[in-house]
Amino acid sequence: MLIDGEVSQPNEEEAHYDFDLFVIGAGSGGVRASRFSASYGAKVGICELPFHPISSEVIGGVGGTCVIRGCVPKKILVYGASFRGEIEDARNYGWEVSEKIDFNWKKLLHKKTEEIVRLNGIYKRLLNNSGVKLYEGEGKIVGPNEVEVTQLDGTKLSYTAKHILISTGGRATRPAIPGQELAITSDEALSLEELPKRAVILGGGYIAVEFASIWNGMGVTVDLFFRKELPLRGFDDEMRAVVARNLESRGINLHPRATLSELIKTEDGIKVITDHGEELIADVVLFATGRAPNTKRLNLEAVGVELDKTGAVKVDEYSRTNIPSIWAVGDVTNRINLTPVALMEGTCFAKTVFGGQPCKPDHKDVACAVFSIPPLSVVGLSEEQAIEEANGDVLVFTSTFNPMKNTVSGRQEKTIMKLLVDAETDKVLGASMCGPDAPEIIQGIAVALKCGATKAQFDSTVGIHPSAAEEFVTMRSVTRRVAAGSKPKTNL
Amino acid sequence: MASSLTVTNTLSSPKLKTLYRKLSIPIPTTPLSSRLLFNPKTLSSPSLSLNRTRTRHRSFAARAESQNGAEPPSHYDFDLFTIGAGSGGVRASRFAANFGASVAVCELPFSAISSETTGGVGGTCVLRGCVPKKLMVYASHYSYEFEESHGFGWKYDVEPKHDWSTLMANKNAELQRLTGIYKNILNNAGVTLIEGRGKIVDPHTIDVDGKLYSARHILVSVGGRPFIPEIPGSEYVIDSDAALDLPSKPEKIAIVGGGYIALEFAGIFNGLTSEVHVFIRQKKVLRGFDEEIRDFAAEQMSLRGIEFHTEESPQAIIKSSDGSLSLKTNKGTAEGFSHIMFATGRRPNTKNLGLETVGVKMNKNGAIEVDEYSRTSVPSIWAVGDVTDRVNLTPVALMEGGALAKTLFQNEPTKPDYRAIPSAVFSQPPIGQVGLNEEQAIQEYGDVDIFTANFRPLKATLSGLPDRVLMKLVVCAKTNKVLGLHMCGEDSPEIVQGFAVAVKAGLTKADFDATVGVHPTAGEEFVTMRTPTRKIRQAAEGKTDSEVKATAGV
Repeated sequence: MLIDGEVSQPNEEEAHYDFDLFVIGAGSGGVRASRFSASYGAKVGICELPFHPISSEVIGGVGGTCVIRGCVPKKILVYGASFRGEIEDARNYGWEVSEKIDFNWKKLLHKKTEEIVRLNGIYKRLLNNSGVKLYEGEGKIVGPNEVEVTQLDGTKLSYTAKHILISTGGRATRPAIPGQELAITSDEALSLEELPKRAVILGGGYIAVEFASIWNGMGVTVDLFFRKELPLRGFDDEMRAVVARNLESRGINLHPRATLSELIKTEDGIKVITDHGEELIADVVLFATGRAPNTKRLNLEAVGVELDKTGAVKVDEYSRTNIPSIWAVGDVTNRINLTPVALMEGTCFAKTVFGGQPCKPDHKDVACAVFSIPPLSVVGLSEEQAIEEANGDVLVFTSTFNPMKNTVSGRQEKTIMKLLVDAETDKVLGASMCGPDAPEIIQGIAVALKCGATKAQFDSTVGIHPSAAEEFVTMRSVTRRVAAGSKPKTNL
Repeated sequence: MASSLTVTNTLSSPKLKTLYRKLSIPIPTTPLSSRLLFNPKTLSSPSLSLNRTRTRHRSFAARAESQNGAEPPSHYDFDLFTIGAGSGGVRASRFAANFGASVAVCELPFSAISSETTGGVGGTCVLRGCVPKKLMVYASHYSYEFEESHGFGWKYDVEPKHDWSTLMANKNAELQRLTGIYKNILNNAGVTLIEGRGKIVDPHTIDVDGKLYSARHILVSVGGRPFIPEIPGSEYVIDSDAALDLPSKPEKIAIVGGGYIALEFAGIFNGLTSEVHVFIRQKKVLRGFDEEIRDFAAEQMSLRGIEFHTEESPQAIIKSSDGSLSLKTNKGTAEGFSHIMFATGRRPNTKNLGLETVGVKMNKNGAIEVDEYSRTSVPSIWAVGDVTDRVNLTPVALMEGGALAKTLFQNEPTKPDYRAIPSAVFSQPPIGQVGLNEEQAIQEYGDVDIFTANFRPLKATLSGLPDRVLMKLVVCAKTNKVLGLHMCGEDSPEIVQGFAVAVKAGLTKADFDATVGVHPTAGEEFVTMRTPTRKIRQAAEGKTDSEVKATAGV
């Protein structure tokens, strides 16, 4: 019932549109959907705001959050920050490293910007090579089949399209506390002119934790404030505790069950006042308190596209909004806000609308990673979710060990791995790991888990020795068995 | 309590009690329930171990009771006598003891360098293989990280220098710790450890330095040792045992051999700033690996400063008056080496074990011939691990040892499964692989699709170093099954392990495609390969035809 997009046989009715598809927003989801639609023969236009590392209502850039203000620059900074630990660890391996080591933030910042400019160019070329027409400017929806692009010089272009795709992503939000304008968000944090000496971070999510690790690795004093007992709400509680312990042992000051109530500018820096009445002075205050979908200036009300209460575009399983010709993918729909998920949604959209194969993105068992130092990566259910969702008992297998590298380096940091298994079906319901290389290790495990692999299949796989990953296939005895229906004891 | 019941049961054998007295070995007081599943690097937190322990001993008690009724009292000193306490021997012994058997294991005294008279609990993996090798790889990799770090804004007042003796001291302290842990594992499992050289006298009797022990089953798990061909001057050559424990850094080293050991040491010494030359007999390194991976790995290693000399066979080693060594090959003589290492293969340790006397059959390489259950030609004698020269890897020896314990003492005949065994080469960059390589897949399945990704990793774009990563999937065109997966690049061994589960489970390319990537990682490339790089089809005449398709990147 869905499919109408047989562009290869244009009929009278379709011929009068300027485009088969017009996409607003050239981030991960939008670029993927455009390119794939074009490859199916659709005539595609896409608009995107002008490039700058820091986004706003009128600034963006081809590549989107992932490339310009997210995954890529973040990972670059994580690489940069990780060297501190490596240098420390090298000493017991016989390396004489001088006490005086310099970290040049400006050099890294410059190279990071160079790299994202290069990637921005690559994305533009990708679009161009697939025959997608790129417009620079702000896109608005004028009607169910009409968009308007306001160009840099103010001139407005108007196009009709058989389908419109909204893929405008999201942006960091700021809590409304006095002095909030003194704080920055992750956009600015990735592009600071000067590296702060003292940083205060508000938030307990992955962005907060990642920046805490980044700055800590670069020698910044970091104070991390979050509302709950542990950071990373939604992840497995045991893993959250491990991450908290690691952050702390690496020198980050954790302030659980705390928030900021006011920021005041002083000679000395920003005076931060907490809800416990505590006062700190910081050079930088980072709000990592969540992100909101970019739906405000799209004129969606005019055509009646429904939004949920967070401002996200409501879509069905095929990423279609309540207006049949308007679709949305990626963070703007606030489903699972990850680049590979936006890519999947974009691909499915193109297949559904122009490929003649209705295709629902599958949001089950999506693996993800937190690039803290060391990182956390998970796929499938957490222990708490598994207990709630499994029909029978849940078998919990854990392995906590000192990674081989630490036996000589002397670093006191355990790696933890965990498998959750349905006692009845033997299916592996969830896998998580916190320790070096966790995101790389989990990717392969994710394939097995996605396809319903059983614990027996894990056990029958021979290990790669010596690796950390081999622990996932050598967990022989159950750490604990949790009876079906027993409610997890937590108010974390 | 169940645990006391089982202990009593084991010790109530009068013979065993006598034996303990005779050998003045303290009767193990540790309850059997404290047997942990131990892994040298696994130091479980106390609370977790406690949980494990409880589960274990319950199931054990049940088994022990049932066996009690079924088994006639044995007239042997031991149910199992294991010769050689390496990975396979320790695993088999421990598991057998867990299943209620009385077990002894003998092992030669500890030394970093193995010989006819030295070895050590833990075996090759722990003392002269995987573990020290990996520690050396870690040590040597830092030089590369220092180089990378420049690109990320790090600067050192004085460039870091390496102190060889610190590394050796810290490495050896770790090995001592591990051999101690292994002894504890055996002790805690209730296995009797006897230090000395074991020799088989008859199908049920072992002689350890003059003392005789009888056993219902004998397990030979004596492993292997480096093999150096006899050529003039070979007495100047070091093997991998010695290379892991050198008193000082080699200034300039020649490594003869193109296998994984040669490449791993090439990376180690190169990283620790020796000048490294690798001499290989063939055109390419790593015979048996995927051809594309072989080329790629050698190229990447060359970029990091290792010099390869191909198609050169060693003929002699000459020591000059200044003490330096020269390597004479079929192509000429290379001079000025402080060290020459041969990584020219390993041989099973089957000499002087009494095997010929009892009639245990061996193959032409001296490896013990065994059936699918690891049984030799003598029904009461079994063999696992490198001494059988099947797949010489620690996890395989563990699998064989575990399977044997089940077969013998749990009434559960178990064959080790050799399909899709993943493995790694800890060269720099490292290699990970599982399943078939392209050539094997074509031979076995004919029509295959090859997916490759050859890219510059994100880290290299910043560091400016010339690293690349090669990833490769070999897919059966008919069934869509992923037959093989190969990677050369940073973290390959860690990345491949999870995929090995998928390959072993027989998953298809479609299953890979259905998996969402973890971004940004290198591993995600394995689930985002959309277009085959080439499709190989058996042409009508039966000739292989490679249809190369341009990867559009769409």
